[in-house]
Amino acid sequence: MIEKKIIEIAFHGRGGQTAITASKLLAEMAYECGFKDAIAIPIIGAERRGAPIQAFSKISRDAQIRSYCSVTDPDFMLIFDTTLLKIPRVFATIKEGVILIINSNHKIDFNNNLQKSVKIYIVDATGISLKYGLAIEGFPILNIPMLGAFAKISGFYGLDIMEKVIKKKFGSRAEKNMKTARDAFETVKEMI
Amino acid sequence: MSQKEQEIKFISGNVAAAYAARSAKVQVISAYPITPQTTVVEKLSDFVDSGDMPAQYIKVESEHSVMAALVGASIAGTRTFSATAGQGLLYMSEMVHWAAGARLPIVMTIASRGIAPPWNIWADFTDVISQRDAGWLISFASSHQEIYDSVLMAYKICENEEVLLPMFIAYGGFVLSHTSKPVIIEPDDKLEKFLPPLPDEKGWPHIFIDPERPMMHGNLIMPSGFYYEFRMKIHDEMMKSTHIIKQVALEFEKIFGRSYGNGLIQEYKMDDADVVLINIGGLALQAEQAVDELRQEGYKVGSVKLRHFRPFPIDEIINIAKRVDVIGVVDRDTAFGSPTGGAVSSECKSALHNTGIDTIILPIITGIGGREVSVEQQKEEFKILMKLKETGELPKDMIHGTLWDGVLEVK
Repeated sequence: MIEKKIIEIAFHGRGGQTAITASKLLAEMAYECGFKDAIAIPIIGAERRGAPIQAFSKISRDAQIRSYCSVTDPDFMLIFDTTLLKIPRVFATIKEGVILIINSNHKIDFNNNLQKSVKIYIVDATGISLKYGLAIEGFPILNIPMLGAFAKISGFYGLDIMEKVIKKKFGSRAEKNMKTARDAFETVKEMI
Repeated sequence: MSQKEQEIKFISGNVAAAYAARSAKVQVISAYPITPQTTVVEKLSDFVDSGDMPAQYIKVESEHSVMAALVGASIAGTRTFSATAGQGLLYMSEMVHWAAGARLPIVMTIASRGIAPPWNIWADFTDVISQRDAGWLISFASSHQEIYDSVLMAYKICENEEVLLPMFIAYGGFVLSHTSKPVIIEPDDKLEKFLPPLPDEKGWPHIFIDPERPMMHGNLIMPSGFYYEFRMKIHDEMMKSTHIIKQVALEFEKIFGRSYGNGLIQEYKMDDADVVLINIGGLALQAEQAVDELRQEGYKVGSVKLRHFRPFPIDEIINIAKRVDVIGVVDRDTAFGSPTGGAVSSECKSALHNTGIDTIILPIITGIGGREVSVEQQKEEFKILMKLKETGELPKDMIHGTLWDGVLEVK
């Protein structure tokens, strides 16, 4: 799968959980660490806080990315909220060989409905964000811990690249963000 | 304000448009927010507020006033910029005509969206096409970099004394406005080499505000006066601007190293192509991927990006028609009641009239109101053209001679 020319990542979150920012940061970090091209594609409608949100990143080591289309057959799926797994259009994209990274503090029961080749990792992104006080009006900001977990699982970029991009984007708030990234990087684990 | 080194920024199409206005040393911006354009003028507001861009930023109460403010600022001899979309452009329409009639080199980006009702905010070029006859040059950008580059080229084209007309640069709302990609931001020394000098205190040669040289603006011209001749000259100079557009694209390539074909169109793998698909905007770039994939399967197909709709590249379309048997022309816009239902395909057909060329043009409409068009769908469009070439067989379910591709079943 890693040999694929263009790697596609799907983000599923709820409005306010910063999934769209995550898709942009991931693409930018991939570009920073030597991928030839990258694109972040948010799906925009009439969203508001709490509504299901989709965003995508496509990253490519060699080829130019020329399609602006959404991703229907992702290589990775970052699930910011476990309740989204119940949405049929989200569940339908969990295809063979996909790697799921789910924000959860407990095991998730798929009732053997997934193909064996699907790999599932869980990270307690909500707990990590709250632990380091990364929240707006009490709502935890999940993008950085989710991207920290993705860095570990994919191996596409390291914490050093994350720090570089996060410093550029968040300035003085970078350190707090990086603490959540490191924590998630270390604690993400495969769900067996 | 100053950009010493070339920089690659990971930004949205809208932010690329804002950077382009900054790079082009725009002096006056007037703005009113509308989705999906808003982040263009938000970014410009940041630039002006932080002192990063020494421009006047005029906040007004509507799009109509946006263009009115820019008309005034441009008459006074300044480089001006704004951005809008959809309903905002329609509301602005009266002043859009005013800008062209006064021959003002205003540049405006359009994050194109479907026209209401019903409400729609997604990619559809019907908004900018509706201003077809206003006297503005109309161009389309297919990538984030092309948005930035097109704005730079626009000032050089529009401010040329042989042109002196305004220009729209349109790109698909959300498709390009809100997706992000790496964009090269050029350094000052290169920009200085390329861009025309800012207008001096004398302003433009034909229209100015100067107590030493009193001039009446916007006065009434009787039918026996020169109104008629003004109109003729707009058409004449718009048609002749094709030469300036080509020249500017060439100079741009020399200085910045990025090619946009001959400026009017950009061809992709056309040398031995049997059939070709002509697209505008982002779909033109995506069609190149469809071409590559089909060529691996042995199909000889080519793609053309139509960069300019005004002036219309008549000679280029004739030249393409001489080389292939079948051309598919894709409109992401509607022109109700026109010969084909789409503006671009109608004009491509008209370009071939009386040329003696019997190349078949298949009009295609797709992606209306932001409906997603996949690479697979574009590959199918190419296959329809191949079948048409080989068997003469037209696709089923055409509507008034046009293929509405990707349309849902309606009763």
